[in-house]
Amino acid sequence: MLPYLAKRSVSLVVVLLAMSFIVFCLQSIIPADPARAIAGPTAPAATVEVVRQQLGLDDPMLVQYGRFLSNLVHGDLGTSVRTRQPIAEDVRKYLPASAELALVALVFGIALAGLLALVQNTMQNSGWVKLAIVAAGSTPIFLSTLLLVYFLWFRLGWLPGAGRLSIRRFSGPTGFNLLDGFLVGRPEVSLDALLHLILPALALALPIAVAVGRSLNGALHDVMKQTYIRTGRGKGLSETAIVLRHGLRNAASAPLAMIGLQVGLLFGNLLIVERVFSWPGLGLYTVQAFATSDLPAVLGVSLVFGTFYILINIVVEVSQSLADPRIGL
Amino acid sequence: MTEPVLTIKDLSVVLSRDGRANRVLDGISFDVAPGEIIALVGESGSGKSTIGLTLQGLLPKESEPKISGSVLLDGVEIVGAKPGVLRAARRQLVRAVSQDPMGSLNPTMTIGRQMRESGVGDIVDWLGRTGLPDPERIADSFPHRLSGGQRQRVLIAMSMMTGPKLLIADEPTTALDVTIQAQILDLLRKLAREQQTAILFVTHDLSVAASLADRVLVLYAGRVAEIGGVRDVIRNPAHPYSAGLLSARFDFTSDRLRPLPTLPVERSRPRDATNACAYAHRCPIVQEDCTTIRPALRTVGNHSGAAACLHAEQTPAATDTSRTRPLWPESVVQRSAVALELFQISKGFATGAKNFWGVRAPRPVLKSVDLTIRQGECVALVGESGSGKSTILRIAAGLLKPDSGDVSRVDKIAPQVVFQDAVAALTPWLSVGEQIGERLRPLGLSAEESRRRVAEAMELVGLDVGLMQALPSELSGGQCQRAVVARAVVVPPKLLLCDEPISAMDVSLAATTLNLLGDLRRRFGMAMLFVTHDLAAARIIADRIAVLQHGELVEDGDPDALIAAPKAAYTRALIAAMPSLHTELAQ
Repeated sequence: MLPYLAKRSVSLVVVLLAMSFIVFCLQSIIPADPARAIAGPTAPAATVEVVRQQLGLDDPMLVQYGRFLSNLVHGDLGTSVRTRQPIAEDVRKYLPASAELALVALVFGIALAGLLALVQNTMQNSGWVKLAIVAAGSTPIFLSTLLLVYFLWFRLGWLPGAGRLSIRRFSGPTGFNLLDGFLVGRPEVSLDALLHLILPALALALPIAVAVGRSLNGALHDVMKQTYIRTGRGKGLSETAIVLRHGLRNAASAPLAMIGLQVGLLFGNLLIVERVFSWPGLGLYTVQAFATSDLPAVLGVSLVFGTFYILINIVVEVSQSLADPRIGL
Repeated sequence: MTEPVLTIKDLSVVLSRDGRANRVLDGISFDVAPGEIIALVGESGSGKSTIGLTLQGLLPKESEPKISGSVLLDGVEIVGAKPGVLRAARRQLVRAVSQDPMGSLNPTMTIGRQMRESGVGDIVDWLGRTGLPDPERIADSFPHRLSGGQRQRVLIAMSMMTGPKLLIADEPTTALDVTIQAQILDLLRKLAREQQTAILFVTHDLSVAASLADRVLVLYAGRVAEIGGVRDVIRNPAHPYSAGLLSARFDFTSDRLRPLPTLPVERSRPRDATNACAYAHRCPIVQEDCTTIRPALRTVGNHSGAAACLHAEQTPAATDTSRTRPLWPESVVQRSAVALELFQISKGFATGAKNFWGVRAPRPVLKSVDLTIRQGECVALVGESGSGKSTILRIAAGLLKPDSGDVSRVDKIAPQVVFQDAVAALTPWLSVGEQIGERLRPLGLSAEESRRRVAEAMELVGLDVGLMQALPSELSGGQCQRAVVARAVVVPPKLLLCDEPISAMDVSLAATTLNLLGDLRRRFGMAMLFVTHDLAAARIIADRIAVLQHGELVEDGDPDALIAAPKAAYTRALIAAMPSLHTELAQ
């Protein structure tokens, strides 16, 4: 375990370096000018030049990159062009909302995937289940998000369709409203937060559920043909015990890897879903950064997402090895 | 007489495959007394495994089983029973040990937990009773830490600890080494006697049946051909099929100068044998009434049992018919020309303990092996699992690189390999003809010419040319092995490598395959490396036997000389562990 984590930490640093370099290079290729963006569209060229010098944009690329890296080590992701705040500050502000949404979406997605696989495994050849999966799998996320909003919020009014809470001005110690409500002794806030979470989390969970569910179903289908399953039946175990105790764990490896892959897509989908639901998180922040050519912000957020992606995949690999003792770390 | 623990009456089972119904069991009736060991013997496809699955109520749902008749297990009717009744029966009355110990244990659950799931009992005590060393440690381990023999002991302990009335042992030793096989058989016999557990022992090997069982039941095409005391049937078979099975099995005394006697090859089984003897189309003493009357099981003069043959009194004695078969042609070994030379080959695999950085230490598998095969010579490489024999074969084939040492082959054509699992060695989506013809491609023949060559090769190995367009899934296991051999010899190589080609086959098929390989190597003057754990097969096919133990050649010599006077202790153990009909009957 220890050498594994050591090796993984090294690869984390390498990947982050590569990622920072790529995004950094993009700055010089994309014809958007941060100096112009800060100075404003009507500012005279001289002002823009002053801003450019202030930002150090005239230095050679390597010097700029070196400066960026040394700042990074000190937890400084640079300054956002749009909010004029340190990006690290912005990330700290918006991360909890996105993290809470992403986590709940993952939980929904995995739960739905399990349900899907079990239903498919018990109801072999059910055309309706297959049709539903194909429909859910082939709907683009922006469409499914809009459909959810339209029906469950706009037409039926069952669930709130925008924002994190109905009340304004609430802040708790963790930034996770779901928890903070309980922590400050206002459980009704937690309930409200949950209601607000359901629709966006569901929109994000659908693609995860389809991908992971299909992978789990396929793996389970193969596992249930193994001889040890017959050994289990031969012991007189019930079918439920066989699936839950002998089937799931042996089928876990492929769907776990699929979860790791889906997390990357989830981060991309956050941009769309947070935009539609006006969710004050990193996704929305990134969308706005794109709209205003706020490249330092885009770079900062990418690094944050990249770090989380790698961390989550380490968790995935550790769980794979926990599920199957034959997979060593 | 005590009440039988199992009474089967007129049991028929119809299974569907790809929409086609197939009568797998056809009017089976027999009793088993408490503590009795009864062997079910027959070829692949005779329905012997289906009996076991029916008793457990575990016939695969997707084959839509239709069961009729009656199975009374300790007073409980199994046929048509509700799932709850079947589960209770599986928990308390009937347990099974399968032929695949490697796959029968859940890899993600400790042995102890899997045993606890099985029922109440002292797990450590039971593991110890099956002869496993350090049972506490084994209870805490995961299955992949155990060898095949150890896993089979665990499975036996798991079944026997619940004190079942009946144990179904479905070829429990086929996947194990001969030396382990004898121990497992002893263990089964001992535990069955102690616990008064009856055993249904499914096997295709009559000598294994003879060493264990009280009675034998010979199955053919889902019908009982013969039933009787195991010694009686072996000494004096009443059904021509039993006699055929007996003469097809080979051991250390078989004549190796001639092809082995075999059962007539099963061509197409007649669709409807309702009013006929199912064996009629293969029977050497078939008469007119055999195709119009279905023979009932009746008492016979040969022994106290019963046989389903109208002409049992004419069944030939299972004597050696060797004098009627022609001798193999003279040896074609060329003393001077070498087909394969391995010089000081060493090989290790990284499977040892991990160091701090997660790198596994190499474990040596081959330690400086020298082996020379002359042109036209067949060398059998014998050794138990893990001795490194398959590694040698892979190195000889060029599939693996040795860590050190030299491999020299003379032939420009790459050596061809015949693997144990013929079905897995064929690509499922290419027709048999395409796969055989693939090796002709470099020759640049016309389509017509290569078709002719493929047909020739198929005829040579005894494969119906009509199967050229068939996919491997439409072929039986024996036909698949023939297709693999045809692919190997369509452009005859100077060196043919065989990796346990017969170890998964029943007796008759194994003898047929040995004859085929023996014929082909003589016909083309091919050298052959024949890897096996079966010393009897090695003696029959090979000019020379090399014995491998722990990655070193411990003995090398003429087959008969080596078996008559083995030098290495390991070779002696191998010989002693071989079950033999003659020694069983002498007791």
